[in-house]
Amino acid sequence: MYTPDFDYYAPQTVQEVCSLLTQFGSKAKILSGGTDLMVKLKHGTIDYEVLISLKELNELKGITYQEGKGVVVGARTTHNDLVNSDILNEKYLSISEAAHHMAGNQIRNIGTIGGNIVNAVPSADLPPIFIALGAIVTILGPEGERTVPLEDFFTGPGKTVLAQNEIVTYITIPDQPTTGSNYIKFGLRRSGALAVVGVASSVTMEGNIIKDARIALGAVAPVPMRAKNAEAALIGKEYTDELLEQAGVAASQECSPISDIRGSAEYRRDMVRVFTKRSLKASITKGHSGEHLETEHGK
Amino acid sequence: MSENTIHNNDYAVIGKSVPRIDGREKVTGAAKYTGDLKFPNMLYGKILTSPHAHARILSIDTSEAEKLAGVKAVITHKDVPSLKYGISPARWDENIFCIDKVRFVGDKVAAVACIDEETCYKALKLIKVEYEVLPAVLDPLTAMDEGQPLVHEEYERNINTEIHQEFGDMENAFKNAHHIRKDRFVGQRTYQSPIEPHSAISMWQDGKLTIYSSTQSPHYFQYYIAREFGMKMGDVRILKTYVGGGFGGKLEPTGLEFAGAVLAKNTGRPVKMFYDRAEMFAHNRGRHAQYMEITSAVDKDGKILGCHTNFIMDGGAYTSLGIASAYYAGALLPLTYEFDNYKFDMFRVYTNLPACGAQRGHGAPQPKYAFECHLDEIARDLNIDPLEIRIRNARRPNTVTPNDFGINSCEIKSCLERAGAMSGWAEKKGKLPKGRGIGVATGSFVSGAGYPIYRTNLPHASAMIKVHEDGTAATLYTGAVDIGQGSDTVLSQMAAEAMGFVYEQMKIVAADTETTPHDFGAYASRQTLMSGAAVKQAGEEVKRQLLDMAASMLQRPVYDLDVKAGEIFSISDSSVSLSFSDAAREFFVRRGPLVGKGSYTPPKLGGKFKGAAVGTSPAYSFCAQVSEVQIDEETGVIDVLDVWDVHDCGMVINPGLLHGQVHGALFMGLGESIWEQVLFDDKGKIVNANLAEYRLPTALDMPKVHSGLIDSYEPAGPWGVKEVGEGSTNPTMGCFANAIYDAMGVRINSLPLTYEKVWRALKEKREKEQAQK
Repeated sequence: MYTPDFDYYAPQTVQEVCSLLTQFGSKAKILSGGTDLMVKLKHGTIDYEVLISLKELNELKGITYQEGKGVVVGARTTHNDLVNSDILNEKYLSISEAAHHMAGNQIRNIGTIGGNIVNAVPSADLPPIFIALGAIVTILGPEGERTVPLEDFFTGPGKTVLAQNEIVTYITIPDQPTTGSNYIKFGLRRSGALAVVGVASSVTMEGNIIKDARIALGAVAPVPMRAKNAEAALIGKEYTDELLEQAGVAASQECSPISDIRGSAEYRRDMVRVFTKRSLKASITKGHSGEHLETEHGK
Repeated sequence: MSENTIHNNDYAVIGKSVPRIDGREKVTGAAKYTGDLKFPNMLYGKILTSPHAHARILSIDTSEAEKLAGVKAVITHKDVPSLKYGISPARWDENIFCIDKVRFVGDKVAAVACIDEETCYKALKLIKVEYEVLPAVLDPLTAMDEGQPLVHEEYERNINTEIHQEFGDMENAFKNAHHIRKDRFVGQRTYQSPIEPHSAISMWQDGKLTIYSSTQSPHYFQYYIAREFGMKMGDVRILKTYVGGGFGGKLEPTGLEFAGAVLAKNTGRPVKMFYDRAEMFAHNRGRHAQYMEITSAVDKDGKILGCHTNFIMDGGAYTSLGIASAYYAGALLPLTYEFDNYKFDMFRVYTNLPACGAQRGHGAPQPKYAFECHLDEIARDLNIDPLEIRIRNARRPNTVTPNDFGINSCEIKSCLERAGAMSGWAEKKGKLPKGRGIGVATGSFVSGAGYPIYRTNLPHASAMIKVHEDGTAATLYTGAVDIGQGSDTVLSQMAAEAMGFVYEQMKIVAADTETTPHDFGAYASRQTLMSGAAVKQAGEEVKRQLLDMAASMLQRPVYDLDVKAGEIFSISDSSVSLSFSDAAREFFVRRGPLVGKGSYTPPKLGGKFKGAAVGTSPAYSFCAQVSEVQIDEETGVIDVLDVWDVHDCGMVINPGLLHGQVHGALFMGLGESIWEQVLFDDKGKIVNANLAEYRLPTALDMPKVHSGLIDSYEPAGPWGVKEVGEGSTNPTMGCFANAIYDAMGVRINSLPLTYEKVWRALKEKREKEQAQK
């Protein structure tokens, strides 16, 4: 294995990034962390003549709370920044927890949320929890800015709505009345394993009634998906364990997992049932801190 | 003084957890592994391997590769000796490069030497090999069927090794049985996954070949390389640097030394060859997958009367250490439990998959998993507690196995009782909440093989100690190989103890065929006992000479003197003293170098039948493990909470390192039990040749480990020592499987015991119960 030759740019402005992308077209790729990109380049599974690093763009790094807008996460924010953010720890600990369970510490130190999302791997850990919290992606291109709900961002494995000369700049979690949110990653060992199933949920309660619920599933479809039938089964109903089981069954029926070396489709489907139930329960009873950092698989 | 009373003495150096002799170098990153070494003008080499599981080579065109700038040499089978090699002389079946056909995805076809690594990869792509793809044998269970393609034309029905042994009176044992039970189990292919990749740097000087290698045995490398190239062994020097783990996978030639030696000769420059992680998996030599049928006859108390093991093992494309693996699979099974009647049948078959070899515990762990599950099933049939049935059958000291292995020390019964007490077995068994279970299993292993891998009358180990001229330090020269297990530390402790010296001033030169005396290396858990015996002898020779000098210096009879921890003293007069250093310095001044030497050859061991030698050893370790698991009923997730391991490994030289071995073995056993499996696609290509999808456990997955020891003394070992490194891998898989059964009432009959298998078994059990309602 060796790193092939490529031209390297580290532009100072986002506009410059877009113009470089326009100039080089499909020969160019954005480098933001590179934990996946550099490995694939070394293995020769992809080939780019130009890498455009975002490392000079400090405005894309960091997490802020903007009144009226919500929590704004720059695309260059690393996974460990998500883990350690005071703002997220206070408002959406569920995101910090999801990031904490990703890969290993070295990867979390360098991998970015922008890279994780744009890479569009079906088993990625961050999309489900951000989708469950209704996150909006801000995209910049030569024509200017546009926004897309994260759940509409993915079009297939490795594919997104991004045009060749566009980049993701921010991910925003809008202010919301949700009672709690939670992401459970089900991997085949406690650390350093890809999700076999990932389930995120957010729930808004009114007393004992589920007023609103969003469920997002990872690793069980070509793209991170909303489990809308499961959500519909919940909304307006009184919270009981049986109801959560029904939602789990609905989610397991509407996902479309494949069989691979990590698990059969049949197993994945049943795990969607189990973890949908457990994620919802945690969202309802434990607020935005799933607390499953300390326990196994949401139990 | 008899050895037994010495055993109870207060030792100055052994029996203590002194810091590792290489600890500081390793933790600071200063330690150099073969891959870290650079030599002037050094080239880099890579091997081109087969993309097909089975194919005829029609042509190889290296011309384009040779034209690439930076390429210094390209070699194929035409440029190397065609003499077949291997590690088991009974079946030498490998060539340096394939000649007529390739036999697995990863088989070696050609090699390049280039100015850098990048050029190597580019050059490999330019070598054009034309193949005629042949049907491949990928399923070991049908490999022996008539009409199957042959992996090697000379081995009919793809049978690599066939074993049929019978001891005692099986017919009578089964006729008189109270209960007979047959069970079937399946093991999986695992890979050792040492952290350090294999590498070798070869260089020539005036007809002498020197190779730095990450190896478990410089001696075997030296022997096989000299043989392959028709050289004198004295003209081949193999040096080991620090090695980042071997676990059996670095015992045999890897191909890197052969290819590197030829490339270095052709270019006149040093050549560094290495495997990347995927190539390590392809080269493999990991654990064989075994298909195991066990039938046992027992009396009404659960006492085993006779046992028949009927196994098939997937050998892959070459023999590697597989003949020994095949014999070990059955031969070691009667160690832990006493029974007189035993029948062992085995076929090791060739397939078009990477060759399997020796992995920690060699052929024994999977059969042990099968037998320990089988024994639990028998206990259940007879309503006997699993711990109790093992205690009833436990081997006693000074007994002989049905296949003629003499057992000296054996404290397995105490191990079981202690593990039971430590784990709270009596309070827990049958009383744990739902989803939680407790299981027990035992293990045993050789403390060194009774016979070397190839036929020779060389001693198994030898050692030399030179006390420095000023007497302030001593260097141990040993051929023993530290691959991370700590033999450099343990042997230095032993040398210091035997000499009456201090560990802190010990230096060591090890595993260099030119400067250190012969030793067979790190395999079969042999070094503490065998290398240690040679070191002890060398140390005692130094001590004898030193005390003789001291007697002359102090004008006292030599029998009145002794030396301990660097101080010579009089037994009768406590006012007399002389330092080791002063006496040693004076020795050099008056008599020349103060040197001691020692060697060890095991006694003749074993019976007369075919294969009787495999599994013989001067001594056997024993252990018992109890584990407690928590099963998530909905997901099948297995959480191993605690493991209690109690060992009888004789006198312990360094308790810290010993417990480290138990932890390490348990780490590997845990991985093999629950996660690890080399997986292939339908073309015979490995689909998880990386550390992301070949899941070794992480620190977070480790259970709490409680490592206990039984005081024991082995008369065949120096100071009473036995092995620990491999025996501790033996019980784990069966132990977890039994704990899972206890928790959930499902028996997982194949390894690994994955979450999904547990989930499926629970689901099927539920469905069956529903149907019965």
